[in-house]
Amino acid sequence: MSSITADTFKTSFLPTWCPGCGDFGIWMSFKDALAKLGIGTDDGVVVYGVGCHGNMYDWMKIYGVAALHGRTLPVAQGLKLANHKLPVIVISGDGDGLGEGGNHFMHAAKRNPDITVFIHDNQVYGLTTGQASPTAKQGFKTKSTPEGVVDEPINPLALALTAGATFVARGFAGDPPGLTALMMAAIEHKGFAVVDILQPCVTFDRVHTYPWYRQRVYKLESEGYTPDNKLKAMEKSMEWGDKIPLGILYKEEKPTSEDREPALAEKPLVEQPLTIENLNDLLNEYI
Amino acid sequence: MVQSVTWKIGGEAGFGIMASGTMLCRAFSRAGYHIFATNEYPSLIRGGHNLVTVRIATEKFEAMNRDVHILVALNKETVDLHKQELSEGALVLYDPKDGEWNANDFSKKVVLVAVPLKDLVQQGRGEPVMRNTVALGATVALLGADFEALASVIRDQFRKKGDEVVSQNIAIAKAGYDHVKQTLGTETSMYLDEVQKKEDQLVINASEAVGVGGVRAGLKFAAIYPMTPINALITYLADHAKQFGIVYKQPEDEIAGINMAIGASLGGVRSMVATSGGGFALMVEGLSWCGMIEVPLVIDLGMRVGPSTGMPTYTEQGELQFVIHAGHGEFPRIVLAPADAVEAYSLTIDAFNLADRYQIPVFVLTDKYLNESQWCVPKSSFSGDVVIDRGKLVKESDLPTDGSFKRYDLSVPDGISPRSVPGMKNGFFYANSYEHDEVGHVTEDVSKRIAMAGKRFKKFEAIARDGRPPTVFGDPEAEITFVSWGSSRGPILEAIKLLQAKGKSARLVHFSWIYPFPANAANKLLSAGTRLIDIEQNAMGQLALLIREHTGIFIREKLLKYDGRPLYPEEIVERVS
Repeated sequence: MSSITADTFKTSFLPTWCPGCGDFGIWMSFKDALAKLGIGTDDGVVVYGVGCHGNMYDWMKIYGVAALHGRTLPVAQGLKLANHKLPVIVISGDGDGLGEGGNHFMHAAKRNPDITVFIHDNQVYGLTTGQASPTAKQGFKTKSTPEGVVDEPINPLALALTAGATFVARGFAGDPPGLTALMMAAIEHKGFAVVDILQPCVTFDRVHTYPWYRQRVYKLESEGYTPDNKLKAMEKSMEWGDKIPLGILYKEEKPTSEDREPALAEKPLVEQPLTIENLNDLLNEYI
Repeated sequence: MVQSVTWKIGGEAGFGIMASGTMLCRAFSRAGYHIFATNEYPSLIRGGHNLVTVRIATEKFEAMNRDVHILVALNKETVDLHKQELSEGALVLYDPKDGEWNANDFSKKVVLVAVPLKDLVQQGRGEPVMRNTVALGATVALLGADFEALASVIRDQFRKKGDEVVSQNIAIAKAGYDHVKQTLGTETSMYLDEVQKKEDQLVINASEAVGVGGVRAGLKFAAIYPMTPINALITYLADHAKQFGIVYKQPEDEIAGINMAIGASLGGVRSMVATSGGGFALMVEGLSWCGMIEVPLVIDLGMRVGPSTGMPTYTEQGELQFVIHAGHGEFPRIVLAPADAVEAYSLTIDAFNLADRYQIPVFVLTDKYLNESQWCVPKSSFSGDVVIDRGKLVKESDLPTDGSFKRYDLSVPDGISPRSVPGMKNGFFYANSYEHDEVGHVTEDVSKRIAMAGKRFKKFEAIARDGRPPTVFGDPEAEITFVSWGSSRGPILEAIKLLQAKGKSARLVHFSWIYPFPANAANKLLSAGTRLIDIEQNAMGQLALLIREHTGIFIREKLLKYDGRPLYPEEIVERVS
């Protein structure tokens, strides 16, 4: 029935990312995931942040919102509450989503809206030519940290878990099939789904390259890990160094933000009448 | 018998002072009197001095007067703080247990009414906090009104708490009423003339009026971070969310609030935010985005004393220039400023229609005085038919199936292009924070930039069609012309009446539609050779600056008040003479 393919999303714009950028892998997987789920140009809305990742909208023919830097999640929640039947997906970056938008990230997670967030995590601000991002690891030398990063990095997975996200996973831009599967699972999850996606920045990071990641990543599912225990997931979220886990760390079903709104019980807000019937009740309260 | 009485009750926060004011208002509004109540309180929950002033009159009036006719003191401090405000012959109701008073403690002649508030509460087995209920009963007796007027309000107020609570409260109020009747024996000087009730009247604050206006305009989504003085709107929307199919979301901050509201508006529903100056400062970035992507949004900005945290629970008109200039970059907006609760209702409805019609942010500039005062509004003012105009919001069936829809179509003569909503078949577009082309793709091309910026600026001309001239009140030939905006209107209209009684004629040129500034109309009304006096509740004369910017007219005389307290008609009269 569905004639939606990765080509459905083609526009007249070509990517402006650096050759070899991890964004390409994420983009390919994203298009595949949408096509496989039957979400075409008019069937969903994608909210993009500002950063290299955010430029993706120009080559994605699907309703798009290029939000302000850091503000993807509030916009996405507003869209979702206006029409909760519409798939709402957020493409964000580590600087966008965890720096400028860090507060929104925690609060979105605790509300559990049915929104999927893909974080392009490359430890740097590429668009502003290579400053350290909130996930940059200690010692990492960037334009803003010539002596190496001194702060502790933010751990997006641990943060998502403690804040209340109901689907928490890590993907890798260098593993398109695995990432596609992860993205599909995240979009299909009913609730706030966070996928932190490791991606090399080929221009501003000589350390965390594709080979660097490939030597370290492994799939949780290959170890027989089941994503049903928050404490186990916390433990896995802190595994970093010689071994870096990929896959779903945690998943649970809980009422979403929309489920808890009585006004949305019957149909989306956007389909509801604008006029009220019980005007007298409305006014008599004040007599 | 008198036609107007001003009653003031004071005490420690937590004594139920605010509720007493509202109950007294309701009792007399139900009987057909015109009422108005203002409050004054520090930014505290417990302790500190709370104050409510209620004016009750047989005829409609526009503002509080400064002199107090009845002072109800729930503690000694209240008399100390307010005895200077008493008028000649005022009644002072106090509890002797708080300390005795005698006539020479006061500079004017007053009538001392000792009511054992604490004892009467104790005899009725009430909580100490119910002293205000005794005082209400006593007040009704002092005003010569029927006790049943108060009893009916008490019944409605406590109905949810059960019959026992209702009858206890009525009994305690009655004790206060009877005490006055028995001890005074005779009619007081504050007996109110009787009135004929014409129609049902609402007792409502302007935040609630904004809420009612929003509901009637089809408001579906609001994201509001708590802040004085718009909290009553939050309560209103949260309480009615289920009844009227509204989603009220409490965001993590105002930045999230405006972005959520813009998201919901993009999603096709009527959406709003409300805040005060400090919260709006955080929204400014989002406002600019709203301007760029051409999304309708209503912003209720309840002004209070700034800068910074300022005096959070006091009133000011300090944000007029802020809202006109807020936002990085240039884009159109509309600024409306209600003068009372009726306008708060009607301008909120207008704001939603204007926002949709022009696909821009529209401000409703309220303030603490409007939002926390109790206004008396004929029910019919809020029950007329409401026109809902969603402008060029398209239906899915109107969209061309060949993919040729352009959300930011440059060929539209008025700059307002048809708007689709994500999820509509064939309505694809990007809502792009970057400068963009007709579909929403990013562009930095010179001609496309100029064209798209021009499209947005064209709306200024279109908006001019809807723009409203200032309203003129009073004698057009008057020697004095007051100039004002927003909530200053009421006190000025009262001042004009007082001046008239002194044989001085004055008129008011009042702006409810602030921006885009109605320059032509203002020019005509203000250029005549009368004595112009600008009256504003800020220190810079922000409307006067706007008038000068757009007309060249310099208003030399100004009455600028920025102490956080309401503007009184009497001080306007003093300024003139």
